[in-house]
Order: sequence, then C-alpha cells, then structure tokens
Amino acid sequence: MLAYIVRRTAYGFVVVLGVLLLLFALFFLYAEPIEMARRAVGEKAPPEVLEQWVVNHGYDKPTWWNAESPADTMLVDHFRSMLTFDFGRSDADDSPILERIRTGMGPSLALTLPIFTFGVLLGVGLSLFVAYFRETYIDRMGVVLCVLGMSLSILLYIIGGQFLIGKTLRWFPISGFDTSPAVVLRFLALPVLVGLVEGLGGSVRFYRTVFIEETGRDYVRTARAKGCGDGRIMARHVLHNAMIPILTRVVVSIPFLFTGSLLLESFFGIPGLGSMMVDAIHGNDFATLRAMVYIGALLFIVAQILTDIAYTLVDPRVRLS
Amino acid sequence: MRLHGEARRLARSGIACALLVAFAACSNNPYSESDDDRKIRYKTLPGPTKTLDPAVSYSSLEHQITANVYETLLEYHYLKRPYTLMPGLAVAVPERQTREGGRVAYRFDLREGMLFQNDPSFALDGEGRTTRTIVAADVAFELMRIADPAVTSPVIATFAKIEGLREFSERLQALRDENPEFGALRIDQQYARAGGIEGVRLHGDFGLEIVLIEPYPQILYWFAMPFTTPVPWEAVVYYDGQEGRPFFKDHPVGCGPFEVSEFDKQSKIVMTRNENWYGARHPEWKAPGTVYPSEGEEIDREMGRLDPAYVGRSLPLLDGVELRLEKEHIPAFNKFLQGYYDASGIVHESFDKIVQEGRLSPEMSERGMKLEKSVDPDIYYIGFNMNDPVIGAPAGARGRKLRQAMSLAIDVVEFNRVFNNGRGVPAQSPIPPGIYGYDPDYRNPYRQLDLPRAQALLEAAGYPGGIDPDTGKPLRLSFDLGDTSTAGRLRFQFFVDQWAKLGIDVEIAATNYNKFRQKVKEGAYQIFMWGWIADYPDPENFLFLLWGTMAQANSGGPNTANFDDPEFNRLFEEMKGLDNGPERLAIIRRIRKLLEEERPWIELYHHESYALYHSWMKNVKPAGLSLPAAKYVDIDPVERKRLREEWNKPILWPAYLGLVLAGLIIIPGVVTFLRERQ
Repeated sequence: MLAYIVRRTAYGFVVVLGVLLLLFALFFLYAEPIEMARRAVGEKAPPEVLEQWVVNHGYDKPTWWNAESPADTMLVDHFRSMLTFDFGRSDADDSPILERIRTGMGPSLALTLPIFTFGVLLGVGLSLFVAYFRETYIDRMGVVLCVLGMSLSILLYIIGGQFLIGKTLRWFPISGFDTSPAVVLRFLALPVLVGLVEGLGGSVRFYRTVFIEETGRDYVRTARAKGCGDGRIMARHVLHNAMIPILTRVVVSIPFLFTGSLLLESFFGIPGLGSMMVDAIHGNDFATLRAMVYIGALLFIVAQILTDIAYTLVDPRVRLS
Repeated sequence: MRLHGEARRLARSGIACALLVAFAACSNNPYSESDDDRKIRYKTLPGPTKTLDPAVSYSSLEHQITANVYETLLEYHYLKRPYTLMPGLAVAVPERQTREGGRVAYRFDLREGMLFQNDPSFALDGEGRTTRTIVAADVAFELMRIADPAVTSPVIATFAKIEGLREFSERLQALRDENPEFGALRIDQQYARAGGIEGVRLHGDFGLEIVLIEPYPQILYWFAMPFTTPVPWEAVVYYDGQEGRPFFKDHPVGCGPFEVSEFDKQSKIVMTRNENWYGARHPEWKAPGTVYPSEGEEIDREMGRLDPAYVGRSLPLLDGVELRLEKEHIPAFNKFLQGYYDASGIVHESFDKIVQEGRLSPEMSERGMKLEKSVDPDIYYIGFNMNDPVIGAPAGARGRKLRQAMSLAIDVVEFNRVFNNGRGVPAQSPIPPGIYGYDPDYRNPYRQLDLPRAQALLEAAGYPGGIDPDTGKPLRLSFDLGDTSTAGRLRFQFFVDQWAKLGIDVEIAATNYNKFRQKVKEGAYQIFMWGWIADYPDPENFLFLLWGTMAQANSGGPNTANFDDPEFNRLFEEMKGLDNGPERLAIIRRIRKLLEEERPWIELYHHESYALYHSWMKNVKPAGLSLPAAKYVDIDPVERKRLREEWNKPILWPAYLGLVLAGLIIIPGVVTFLRERQ
C-alpha cells in the first residue's frame, strides 16, 4: 500500500504542476495588471500611480521568459510562491493571503462542518428509513420530497430561509457573524439549517438508491432466511456493504469544507473562505484567487488518495497495489 | 430491559428539554444584549475595507471610519449649505498669501496641546509612553507619505502643486534605487535624508506653511480630508505586519473624536470615543468642530436639527459606532426594518412599499421612521469621444449638430422614472446643486426633450431622417459600455430606443469593464456613459473633466470625452485659480454657454438619495460629501430597545406545528416497523 501511496502522490504532484501552469495561463494572460491596479487603488487614481502599483506588485516583469535573468519572470515567481506556500499579498488590499486563509478557515469550518456532519447522519438515517419502507407511502413521499428539494435553487432556500425564519418568525438573525461565544450559535443556526435542508434531497435520494440496490443482493436474502430482523439487516449488513459509494461521496466533499460555501457565506455575511473567494472575484484579486484555486486542487488530490485508502478499510476485498 | 426503557424515557425528556431551551433562546438580535443601553450607532459596511491608511484611502466606504478617526486641520460646517469650511485642528482657515513667481502660500497654525489617541506604538518615543503632542511636523510627514512612491497615494498628482513635492518623490526613489541600505532606514529618517518637501515649511512646533507653484484655492478643501491629517511616524513604523502586529493600513492611529477599538474587516469594525480628542480634553476651547452648531439652514430648524437641547453641547454625542459587514443589501435592509440598523438606504425591490408618491408609506410612518431626501454632488452623463471622425470635433459643425440632435432626444425624466424610482434631478450643466455656480433657474436649450428640433438639426447635419448619405442606411454609431449584465444593457437600450426615434441606429457594444477601459485607453469608442462624484464642493472639480490637459488621449486623465477646446481651456484655467465671486461666476456662465453649444456631454441627472432613519436617531443631516458626521448624531437607546423588543418577538407556534406534523408522518411508519417485527 505504501508503494501505491507514493505512486499516487507522485502522480498528484504532476497534476499539481499542470494545475499551476493552467492557473498561470488563465490568470496572467487574462488579467491586465493596470486594471488590477485601478480596482485596487481606485477609479480616480492617475496613470502614474497605477503604474507604480504595477511595479510594487511585481506585475511589470516579463511574463514567460527573461533572457537577461531567466529566474526573474512572473512565471517563475508564480511557481515559487505557490510551491512554497508563500502566497504573498492580496492584489485588492495588500493583506497577507496566508493569514487571511488561516483566519477565514475557522468561520468556514464552523458553517460547513455541522452541515456536513448532520447532513451525512441525517442523509444516511433518512435514506435507510425510506429504503426500509420502499414501495410504501413513506418511500413515495420521501422520493417526491427529495426531487422537490433537489429541483429548487440554493438561492431560493437562502432567501426563503431569511424571509421565513429570520424576518417573519424572527427565530434567528437574518445574517451576520460574530465570534463572541454568546452569539455565534445564533448566527450559525439559520445558514446551517438552510445548508442542511438544501443538501438533504440529493443525498437521501443517492443513499436510498444505494441501499435499495444492496437490499436486493443475495446476502440480504440469506440473512433473512436465517431469521435476521429487517432492522438489523439494514443497520448492520446493508449499511456496511454500501460504504464504498457512501465513502466516495463523503470523502470527496471534505476539501469543500475548507474552501467554504460561496453563496451561503456571502448571503449570510460569514467571513469565511467562500466569502473571500467572492470578494476576490469581484475585486480582480488574482493573487488571492489563484492561491485559493491551488489549495482547492491540492485538497482534492489529497481527498482522492484518502478515498482510495478508506476503501481498503471498509472492504477487505480492495487491495491497493 | 427496564434500563433500556429508562434510557429511552431519559432521551425523550432530554430532547424535549433541548427543544424547549432552543426555542426559549430563539432571538434574531445580532448584538450582545449588554450593548442595548449604550449609545452605539449600528451601521452597515457594504464590503471589507481595503485600507484605512489616510494617504491612500479614497472610498466613501472607508471614509466612514477614517473621517471619524483622523481629525483634519479644517472641516466642513455640519449644517450649512453650500458647504463651508471652518477650523478643525487649525486655529483658523488660512488666507491666501501671494509669493513671487506666481506662487501662493497658506499658513496653518495648529492648536497647542492636542494629543494623539493612546497607542502602544508611542513607546518608540520612550518606554511607557502611550501618546504624544500633535505637531505640525506630523502633517508634513503625511504630505511626504503622499509623495512617497511606495505608498501609491491616489492623490499625488493633486498635491504635486506643492512646491518641490514631485522633486522630493524623485529624490526618495533615486536614493532607494541607489542604496538598498537607505530603504532599510526608518521611514521618517528616509524622508529626512531625502531633504523634505521644499514647499512644506515648519514654523516652530505648530506653524505649517504650504507653498503652491500656482494658485489653487481648492487646496484648502484637501485639508478637510483625511489625506492631510497629522500621522505619527511611530504608528507607521510600528505597525509593519511583523511579529503579530497588524499593518498600519489596518490599525489607524489618529486624533479624531473616535478611535478604532475592534477591527475585524471581514465581520465588524467598532469605534469608541477617543478620550484624548482635543474636544474631550479641552471643552473650554469651544472649538467649532467640538460643539454642536447653532447655525444651519431653515430645513434644519424644521427637521429638529437645531434643537436648543443640542446647540452648544460638547461632542461627540455617541459612545461609539459599530459597522457590520453586510454585502447583500436585502438582508441588511430587513435588519434595518427589524431595528437592528439605525439608518438605511432604500432597496430597489422594496421602494414602492416604503415610498409612495414621494412620501413615506403610512406603514413606515406608523413605525416612526423618517425619510430624508438629498441631491448628491455628482453628475451622470453620456459622453461623446471628441476625437471620433463622425461624432467628434474632426466632424466640425456637422458633428456638433449631430451631438445637439442626440442631446435633444433624451428624456431623462422618463429614464429616472423607469430606472431610478423617479429619483434624480435632471442635469442642465456639469455643475450639480450645492456647488458654487449651480443655477436652479438655468435651462439648457439642448437638454429639453424636443424631437422636431432634433430632427431638424439632424437634417442640417447632413443626416436627414437619420440616414447616412454615404451608405443610404441609418447612421450607425456605437455605444460602449463596460457592463455585460442584462440590467446594465436595459439601461443603455433606453437611450438607443430614444435615438432610434430620430432614425439613428446605435449599436450597444457591451464588454466587461476591463475591456471597456482598454477601449477608452485606445480611443476605440464613440459614445459612453459615466458619472463623477465630487471630491470637494467646487465647480473646478467637475469642469476639469472637460479640460484638455486631462484628456484621456493626451494624458490618460479623466476627460474621457477627449474634449480639448482652446476657449474652454483658457476659461477653465482662469476660473480655477479664482476665489468664489462675481468674476468667477461670470466665467462659469461663459463655460456653460460654450458647453451648451459644443455638447461633448449629454448631461443626464444628479442622483437623489433617499435615506431612512428610525425615530430614535437625532440630528442626522444627509451629506453628499463624506463628512465626519458621527460626532453630531445622537441616539435614544431606551426607545430603541423598547421598539426592538416590540418588533422582534419570535413566533414559535410553527415550530411546534412542525414537530407535530413530523410525528404524524414518522409514528405510523415506526408502528408499522414494530408490527412487522412482531
């Protein structure tokens, strides 16, 4: 297995280099440094100030190749800063990007972790429930609700949740965030609820399909023939054997816990990494954007490797070689 | 088995208790209840601040903080209109002094005995020190920061009118380039070695003389902006982002009525009273900027802003200001309606519910809300690229008549009705209300909707019925915009439809903003729409947008229309150096007449702001310019608490109903399950 992990990591590194090259091409061929300067310094800044900003941020260097000093190009700077995790300063406000990522991760995790944890537990629990009652009114009602839930846009959940729970019923604040322990839960309650309900339809429908497929297998019939109860079959045997597709879905979504939720954070005013991405997009902050895209790609590759390892833990038939 | 049942009973009662506690703790109050009785003003911040460095910050968003933290030598009278300067940290508003070679000078005298806010950075002056006296050298230091290329101040071109500022900037850069060790010196030492700015002269500790290379009376307005506030070198040196210290741009150290006590730019910024503020330490001075004013306009008396209970009272009236980041305007507005923000603009989506026939709706009036309307000192306009061979100056009289015809076809009242909820004053010239030279009775003959006259002019221009004789088809022009959204396109389509009535075929060329700027830079455009918000209340700040020296094609300046008329240039250059008076007014009228005929712009409207305030807010006066207004505003926290509680009682019955419904769905299923097991 060690050889497999080393090999996958090496492949992952090659993918990372490819991602970095693509990132560079996408951002630096598209972005006009003078326009980035205008967004950063202000619309009324004179040309000389904009040019000075470009020089101060190192965007005046040759893009791909510098015959006089090959190491002094934007391409080399880009690879150096990304591979050493020295992301530098934001193009929008000159704040250190790594520090901002560090501080933004807390609020993002405070939002995404409960959504993820409760989402998995509720999703698996409810899908086991509806799968157990397959072909009954509970199953049919469950499927209808799931399809309905999946059909609605997340924006509708957000605006509807803010209107109904925040404005009309006045249970929780409509939006905002505060790290003070006295009020932080109050702020998280509504976005967590919205995130949970929004994701539930898709996950219940997915897990239900997996469980129903499993319940048709021979080992279930054998267990029943041996007198094993339905509840025990579902909770122990079916759940265990359905772990591969569940793990695939769960582990792959872990990177997104760190990168946050763009819309939820933005609408609920949670100062996490999703919100930071939205600001970076609006503010032509390419330095922050490429750092975030790079981190997202890295986490995704790590999650892929972890998923493969997790397969061996839940299914002894899987061998990594 | 008994234990199992016991556990189930316990779990059931536990869940019931948790639900009860959860419902009992339900509250939509976004603040800590301990702040309820304090005079804290709650405001929204539509985006994170980029920089609070006074030499760099140039946005109204950041000005909400910098204007209240950084006191200036001069400031605007809170109530008087037109805007009037009065002394701030300076003892008096300086008079212009004439010097040889066409130069002018202004001498400021700072009040003695004023202190900066308490801050650890002053320990650089001596162990245990937390503040120090403000001296004229602190203002000189800030002016040198504006000149410093590493600071990238957006106003360096304006301050380059100070004698020797440009040379100081170049010397500083050269020294840094020549010797890396120079760049490692403390910033104030670098400035000292670079020799300072020739036109910034110190007279003792508290006297400051500014020498300008040419008359520029508007310089005084810049001394009412945070760009020229005294800045302690200690703070700039200390807050360097090292060893856990923030950057100076995120940690303002000033001498205003408030200081930043909590800074989380992604969430909230809290300002509290600065006990070292000169108004707090020396109330006996009764300095104009430290007491509530006794004079204002008639409207101020009507609106209760000259209440005898406030006149002459020491400022500030608030304990603090808390700004919360609210990127989305609908949640922010809803929180205002719940009483959690004290004031708000009106969101487009709710406009008809809030304002009916120009007045506050009965529903909002019942809640004690107040509506304030004000015309902003700005101008929105359609511009023509005067370098264009068809529509610009090269086309001579033909192009002029075409521009005049297109100007006569635009119905801006209808535009405001459709797109701005009827808000906006139709513009007749570039100068907006509240600015010297604005004439409310003036009617621009080319800014009245008159299609027959427009058609006649078009015919005289050689385009009868809008037909281009060269092609035999409708004259085709391009309208460039840097907005690809549907909403943006719809606004532009309105104008295109109006010109279509003349038979002109105007094509919308929508690109993203970056591409649009590139087109402007390259001169590859014909018609565009833009706006300008005043930096200071002077006609020069609007008319310079048409000055040839500022033409985009000549210097990359903000004259995007590339209007470069010798007569206009001559009149403008004469006008900008004059003080307000009959001579200046006469020139402004001649400029207006010239623009009337030449039509480099189609003046559209001056934006009209509608602002809502709750009944507990006192002394609010809308201002188009960014003023340090927080010190004048007052709040009645008792009334606010009472109304918040009344408006925000949680409605819990749907939660109980939901639980019952969930039970009704789940219980039959569980019963079925148990029955099947048996």
